[in-house]
Amino acid sequence: MVFCLSLHQVKAQNELLDILDKEHSDTVPQFVPATFKSTRITYGHSVETRKKGILEVFAATRFWNTPELRSQSFGVDKLNARIALEYGINDRLTAGIGGSTWDGVFDAFVKYRLVRQRSNGQGSPFGVTVFQNSSYNSDAISNPYVLDGFSNRLSFTTQLLIAKKINSDFSLQITPTFIHRSAVYTQDERQNHLALGFGGRYKLGPHVSLVSEYYTVFNPVESIDTYGPFAIGANWELGDVMLQFMLTNAPSMVESSFIAETRNNFNFKNPNLNFGFNFTYIIHFKRQLKGLKQGGKTR
Amino acid sequence: MNKIGKLLPFSMLMAFYGFGQQPTKSMARQGHVSFFSYTSVEHIKAENNQVLSIVDFTTGEIAVSMLMNAFIFEKALMREHFNESYVESDIYPKATFVGRIVDFDPYLIGEQTRIVEGKFTMHGVTKELQIKTKITRTNESLVLSGTFEALVKDYEIKIPPLLAGNIAKTISVDFNFECLPYEN
Repeated sequence: MVFCLSLHQVKAQNELLDILDKEHSDTVPQFVPATFKSTRITYGHSVETRKKGILEVFAATRFWNTPELRSQSFGVDKLNARIALEYGINDRLTAGIGGSTWDGVFDAFVKYRLVRQRSNGQGSPFGVTVFQNSSYNSDAISNPYVLDGFSNRLSFTTQLLIAKKINSDFSLQITPTFIHRSAVYTQDERQNHLALGFGGRYKLGPHVSLVSEYYTVFNPVESIDTYGPFAIGANWELGDVMLQFMLTNAPSMVESSFIAETRNNFNFKNPNLNFGFNFTYIIHFKRQLKGLKQGGKTR
Repeated sequence: MNKIGKLLPFSMLMAFYGFGQQPTKSMARQGHVSFFSYTSVEHIKAENNQVLSIVDFTTGEIAVSMLMNAFIFEKALMREHFNESYVESDIYPKATFVGRIVDFDPYLIGEQTRIVEGKFTMHGVTKELQIKTKITRTNESLVLSGTFEALVKDYEIKIPPLLAGNIAKTISVDFNFECLPYEN
């Protein structure tokens, strides 16, 4: 009798929950969060943009050895560092500027999230972000037959970042890319390149994920031997700090350069192997909840 | 007399019908749930203003359901971390409570303090809870409010050792549901 009664009660409670479930389905659309955790997969941009009012302080370094036998620097013979600031103008639009030390390239970009992936089979099954950057090479062009003017030192990269979070652990991205390089090495060189990037993330734990990325260029630069940039690494996020560690063959951190002008193949010989490290610190300028002060209970 | 006699079954039917129409359930569509984590390093607060709650007057049963990704944090990134790395809201999108208000008098106008006992499910883990709840009834609405504490460890939510100082071991949860008559 008591059993019957409790059984009846459980049933009644589930009926109440069913009513609530129906109500839930009427609420606002739910977008899939965190296809990638960071705005970069490894060296390349991911589909993610930062929310409104977030400033990202982005510092990235690549270390590699020179091929000389007498090298003693244990992987840090050469260093390229890129420091950048990236700001979320709104939830969909991010803009950033940065500068790299080794190749003297200054770059600026805008990124706009066109389509956001929706969950539960409604809306778009994948996310799309458009990316446009331009970069200025501050180093003089060495070839005396190439006119060294401001416009000849610019490069532009347009990307369509298409990504899908397949399940909670696994995300994939395909990146059709168009590059225009004004800064060329020889006079009659190809300036426009088409490339396709592949990237993925696999979550190893709640805060750590394995990431990898590769770009293939369909019409590569002819005057020098180039290889597709590849990277494999781990992303680790800690509150306001995100750390990315990677092994790559691309010493540059600017799109037009690492996609079209990577001169090393990926292997473990010097100077081909680069150890890469991205550090991102996130500062929130817009607080969504007011009235919570640090240092004292305000409740 | 004759006239009344004729009308009696009709008026009784009316009365009966009217009683049937009287809602026996009361629902909150914009209930508030907020939680707090206080540590010496950092204070974290989150609010959800879209919590659903329903109370059945006839049985004193209550159900609460909330979407985890509707919690708003002070920092946008905290919300992302909360959903992605802590409560895994793509796998466990909701937290629910089903239970019963002990000795509930649904028609008492004014305030009563009762124990609500039931099962709280979050992050795929179900725990028995007993929550002291203040219930205030006016003619139209029924307001339930209270506070309880939840141990992070109980719900199998993993905190990385480096951030152990930033997140409290005990999270204090406040709730406030203003329920209005619910009709199917």
